[in-house]
Amino acid sequence: MRRREFALLMGPSLLVMLGLLVVPLVRTIQWSFQKVEYGSPGDFIGLSNYSQALSDPRLGRAVLFTLLLTVIVTATILVLGYLIATGMNGLGKLRPYILGAMLVAYVLPNIVGAVSFSWLFDQNFGGAVNYVIQALTGQNILWFTETWPNRIMVMAHTVWHLLPFSMLMILAGLQGVPKELREAAIIDGASGRKTHFYVIIPTIRGILGFVCLITIMDVLRTFDNLIPLSPQADAIGNESIMLYVFDTAFRDGSAQLGLGSAINVLAILLILVCLFPFIRGLLKEAKAKA
Amino acid sequence: MIADTIKAPAGSVIKPAPRARRRSAASRISAVLLILTAVVMLAPFIWTALSVTKPTDVAFANPPILTGYTPTLKAFQDLWETTYFAQYLINTLVVAVLSTIVALVLGIPAAYALSRFPGYVSAILLLLALVFRSLPRFSVVLPMYEISKSLGIYDTTFALAAALVAINQPFSIWLLRNFFAEIPKELDEAAMIDGCTRWGTLRRVMIPLMRPGIFTAGIFVFLFAFQEYLTALVLTDTSSKTVPVFITTQLGQTLPMLQQAGAAAMLLTLPVIAISFVAQKYLVAGLSDGSVKG
Amino acid sequence: MRFHKHLRTGAAALAVVASLAGVTACGAGSRSGAQDATAVACDYTMPTADTTVNVLAYNSSAIDPFTNTMVKSCTREKVTLKHDPIDFGGQVTKTTATLAGGSGSYDILETYGFVVPGFAAKGNIEPLDDYVAKYADKYKLNALSKQMRSSMSYDGKLYGLPMQAQMYVLAYRKDVFDSLGLKPPTTFAEMIDAAKAIQAKGEIKYPIALPLNATADITTNYQAAMNSNGKDFLDSSGKPQFASDESRKALEGMKSLLPYMDPQVTTFDQPKVQQQMFNGTAAMAIMFSGRMNDLTLPANTKLADKFAFAAPPAVEGSAPYLYSRLSVDGWSIPKNTKLDKDLLFQMMAASVSEDASKASVPAAYPAREGMVSDDSSKYAAAANATIGKSMPTPGSPSAAPVTNAIRPIVVQVITGQLDIEAGMQQMQSIAEKTIAGS
Repeated sequence: MRRREFALLMGPSLLVMLGLLVVPLVRTIQWSFQKVEYGSPGDFIGLSNYSQALSDPRLGRAVLFTLLLTVIVTATILVLGYLIATGMNGLGKLRPYILGAMLVAYVLPNIVGAVSFSWLFDQNFGGAVNYVIQALTGQNILWFTETWPNRIMVMAHTVWHLLPFSMLMILAGLQGVPKELREAAIIDGASGRKTHFYVIIPTIRGILGFVCLITIMDVLRTFDNLIPLSPQADAIGNESIMLYVFDTAFRDGSAQLGLGSAINVLAILLILVCLFPFIRGLLKEAKAKA
Repeated sequence: MIADTIKAPAGSVIKPAPRARRRSAASRISAVLLILTAVVMLAPFIWTALSVTKPTDVAFANPPILTGYTPTLKAFQDLWETTYFAQYLINTLVVAVLSTIVALVLGIPAAYALSRFPGYVSAILLLLALVFRSLPRFSVVLPMYEISKSLGIYDTTFALAAALVAINQPFSIWLLRNFFAEIPKELDEAAMIDGCTRWGTLRRVMIPLMRPGIFTAGIFVFLFAFQEYLTALVLTDTSSKTVPVFITTQLGQTLPMLQQAGAAAMLLTLPVIAISFVAQKYLVAGLSDGSVKG
Repeated sequence: MRFHKHLRTGAAALAVVASLAGVTACGAGSRSGAQDATAVACDYTMPTADTTVNVLAYNSSAIDPFTNTMVKSCTREKVTLKHDPIDFGGQVTKTTATLAGGSGSYDILETYGFVVPGFAAKGNIEPLDDYVAKYADKYKLNALSKQMRSSMSYDGKLYGLPMQAQMYVLAYRKDVFDSLGLKPPTTFAEMIDAAKAIQAKGEIKYPIALPLNATADITTNYQAAMNSNGKDFLDSSGKPQFASDESRKALEGMKSLLPYMDPQVTTFDQPKVQQQMFNGTAAMAIMFSGRMNDLTLPANTKLADKFAFAAPPAVEGSAPYLYSRLSVDGWSIPKNTKLDKDLLFQMMAASVSEDASKASVPAAYPAREGMVSDDSSKYAAAANATIGKSMPTPGSPSAAPVTNAIRPIVVQVITGQLDIEAGMQQMQSIAEKTIAGS
């Protein structure tokens, strides 16, 4: 492909991304050094937004919670996604129905799904889960005000929402594992578990990596679902970084745009650190090709 | 490694397992487990569906009431008649369709170019797309709010669709590039020897081959736009409000309106479920082999 | 090609859904502004161009009558009033957004005494005195309560046209109280005694329901508790009072109720408190009067006829006021609206006219004098008894930012993460910093 052709084909898309992503991003970085409100030009105040953000323990709590959520949810999704996809791959005529039913959790807008999810745990709205747990164990779990029950509920919801996508991807990957490979392993006398660990998983390594990457990105951004699921998120240490930004720069008439932007920039740095292994892998690969 | 993710050997369009194969006990257990999983996954949806079809005075009773009431669609009727729900739904559809079309029109050539132009530039651009995909929404959406206000396009479906095209562009490029990478370069060369230009090759040879891949990417971009909450929350107000934003503005409401919000969630979801039932087969096939065998 | 066929099926399904939405849209929104809203005279001069007036007002059974009357009565010929349903939290966010900068989305805003001074001091909303003078006779504006007008004023000027007052009312289960020989409590101590008696009976585990949601709700309740002993967040010179004795008593009083409330009370807003009453999981609740009418509607709950209403208790026997906040709701005109402000004012005036105010009872407590007698509604007597015994609190532009800033600390004190004394000191210093910063 010639350079000119490449530029022509790539150009429009690149322009859109530069214009609509990079320009706003530059504005965010600018704002992070300013004392600024919506609709009025800001005053440069150096690093004080950053020092304010970093000296507030709330940011530390939000970062910790977000990382914890990311690690647990990603691990759970990889394991469950693989197990379900494997089961699904061996399924016959039932598959389209079960697959369709599972995709519902993914196609519901996240926040809408979270509201439905919260109704299951909220006694004021019936609380089916509470009711069942109470009937079985006689316990009344405080899903919304106690740190760990609330965490478990939030994690369960996040897994619920993201699992179908990962499962779909892994299933697509499993469909591509050549039958001969699997049969060869069985002929060699490998047990079921060994076949998975030494044959199938290495073959779909790429897809698992992709699923992992997308899940990490999505969970690091967690925000919508906490609005119904964790109404007092900060007080119980279950506030995500993005919810913190929302609270600072938008919600309830709060308009500390400068501080919110500084937290945004810090969040971007954190995300880049988390993605570093993937970025390095890509760069290496590119170098090898070049 | 990641760049080659969604590639897999061809020949894997979903086929139901042959009937003749004897079903072992293990596979039967796994089928039961999967059915159970599906039910659990559907539970919140089912619960909401129940709540919005109960009469208001028992809709959210505690302990929940499961029998002894006459189901009613009053919440749906009220939703339709007392709010501008139809308008919100149309806004949501317009934004989703518009942004899907534009995302594909921009993304297909870009992905094609990335798959055919070897070397460092492509790798860097892909990497950039990855970084863009991971950006916190607020870092681009809050400035977009300010910019759209100063341009006078705040609160228009156009502005929201444009924002979503940009936000979802990295994902579509990634997905499409992997599909293109599956198509042998020899095909391009043959087409060009036959006198096609680059553009002609893309239009006459590549796009027809890529149909399942484009369909898959289209479905994803459509879903992303259809679901988007944060961007729509910040960039819309009275004249281009979407359904997810509407539903959340109803969360702190009293009983009848809350029930309407549940009804809105059902109405928003049903068409998407219909689509996902039709599309799931092609999603797997499309994701799995991405190219020629569709 | 099979793929083709399915693609077509999918596209067709989508098209059907879309067109269905389009075609049936004719019936949609037909009852917005509620078909059963009262129509009143709204005779402004018809503008020459097509005009859409966007109204921002949260939904509650007390605000809706005024909004709906305005939308219904003033929409005609070239003028359309548009009101989207929104909850209170949404209104707060949207108000800030629309007032920032040179143009906004809304032309008429629902405001309340607590936020008016802040917006007025920043010059975000329009003073209304000239319009009031001009239209006093036409809309009988002089009958709007003086006290309520003053709570919508700042620096001697009126910035919000008052439509109604809301004060705290105690709703309780008359059947439960009667069966135990209980009377509606007049102090927190009596409320606790009643709660203990109800708990002992065993049916209701958490008899008391308060909206202590970790948003505006919890600070409003804290303020009400402080007001009961005669102090406000800021004194008349604007100095924060969080380290005062009254502040300590307020926090102690609130905490003393905790054992009798659902442990998740800090996530309950007013609709959730209503929900507890609807479901029979609580026997008494204190909320703004505007939420009370919902409790009397059989469509909402099978218990509707079991509720009775009384004035809220005082924090302690010697307290000069009740545990209450008097909040005045009204209409304001944003400075940055592009529409004719005279036209907008007449729409607001029409919605608080005599007929409109009369029609809002029993759902609301209109700002017009002499609208609510003790038998106007099931809770009217309770509301009338409360209104004179709620501490009058003049607003200040710093009140809203200070309240936002201390909120996390109040939550920590109530949930027990922070002891009262430390919390008071922290709030005091945060408040001082906030005032110095703005």
